[in-house]
Amino acid sequence: MSNQATLQLRKDWDGGVSPLGVSYGKLFMWFFLVSDALTFSSLLCAYGFMRHKFTGQWAEPNKVFTHFPFTEASLPLAYVGFMTFDLIMSSVTMVLAVEAGHRKSRKEVIMWLFFTIIGGLIFVGSQCWEWYHFITGPESGPYHDVTRRFIMNGKEVIDTHFSGANLLANSYTLLPTFGDFFFCITGFHGFHVFSGVIINIIILSMVALGIMDKKGHYEMVEKAGLYWHFVDLVWVFVFTFFYLL
Amino acid sequence: MADFFEEYKGYPNYEKMAIHDEAHGKQIRKKLWMVFWIMLVVTIIELVIGAFANDKLSELNKEYVFIFFTVAKAFFIVWVFMHLGDEKKAMKYVIIAPYTLFIFYLAFMVITEGAYTSTIRDVLEGVLLHH
Repeated sequence: MSNQATLQLRKDWDGGVSPLGVSYGKLFMWFFLVSDALTFSSLLCAYGFMRHKFTGQWAEPNKVFTHFPFTEASLPLAYVGFMTFDLIMSSVTMVLAVEAGHRKSRKEVIMWLFFTIIGGLIFVGSQCWEWYHFITGPESGPYHDVTRRFIMNGKEVIDTHFSGANLLANSYTLLPTFGDFFFCITGFHGFHVFSGVIINIIILSMVALGIMDKKGHYEMVEKAGLYWHFVDLVWVFVFTFFYLL
Repeated sequence: MADFFEEYKGYPNYEKMAIHDEAHGKQIRKKLWMVFWIMLVVTIIELVIGAFANDKLSELNKEYVFIFFTVAKAFFIVWVFMHLGDEKKAMKYVIIAPYTLFIFYLAFMVITEGAYTSTIRDVLEGVLLHH
């Protein structure tokens, strides 16, 4: 190592400064996001295990998610494509809010944060709609008239016609685990989006009240932005593994 | 105790380090919109493959294609939108290294185990059918 590099290392790690060059709050936001990413990854790995265990028996997503609002036509993956576009768009408005915060332009921060919240609410609403159609299901299909035996409240129930999905069975495959993973992972992600919207609303009201200007910097917007981008990041993976593969 | 705080008065104000002027902001916004267009095009390609060419690709090729596009998008989100690309080298390693280490290992174990379970189940079912 050259002399200069050694000097720089001593300067960084001998105390008095942050060796990683970030503030305390931002560093721990990143640590939280890494741990949250590990949680999501382990859920998705468990999903991968089941996919590889039941190769060929799993539902084909482009035959399950074919519905679109206000039309009866079969449009495979169109609505989920719209949801992805919505989340990417709200990610861009968030990063523009962060950039405006770095210029201390309060008006622009409020405008972009507002658009981000609208995008988040559209996404949560779309997910509700998607879940509703997944749960009620189509009227007919290959796995509807299968005899299924459940244990409900300690009693055995035999069902010969089943449509839609719940935690015990679904009409898209013979595997209840398909529905279980769908509800668990998209639900966990949807809850993250919901809490992200709440965080953004809190930050927006703090900006509107002028708290950031009093502090002299808009780093709170940046930290909320990190969380919001993380939600988008998780959706990129959920989208691939649930709707494309 | 008072001396302790006196000593750290020279602590840099990291919260204010990203503050920039209008000219620099214009440059940053241009980059952000470019990344948005890249991500949009990648998503549209993915959707077209997923909706129309799903049967034409084999299971393995499909996994490689989609995972490649997904990791590319994830890179753009983390590096540009979350500004990890602008952080110090030490910070990049602190965030990326532990995560990648754990997840590559976990994914490898889980997928190997899943494929093995699938094979062994087929073998066992074959044995049961023949006896």
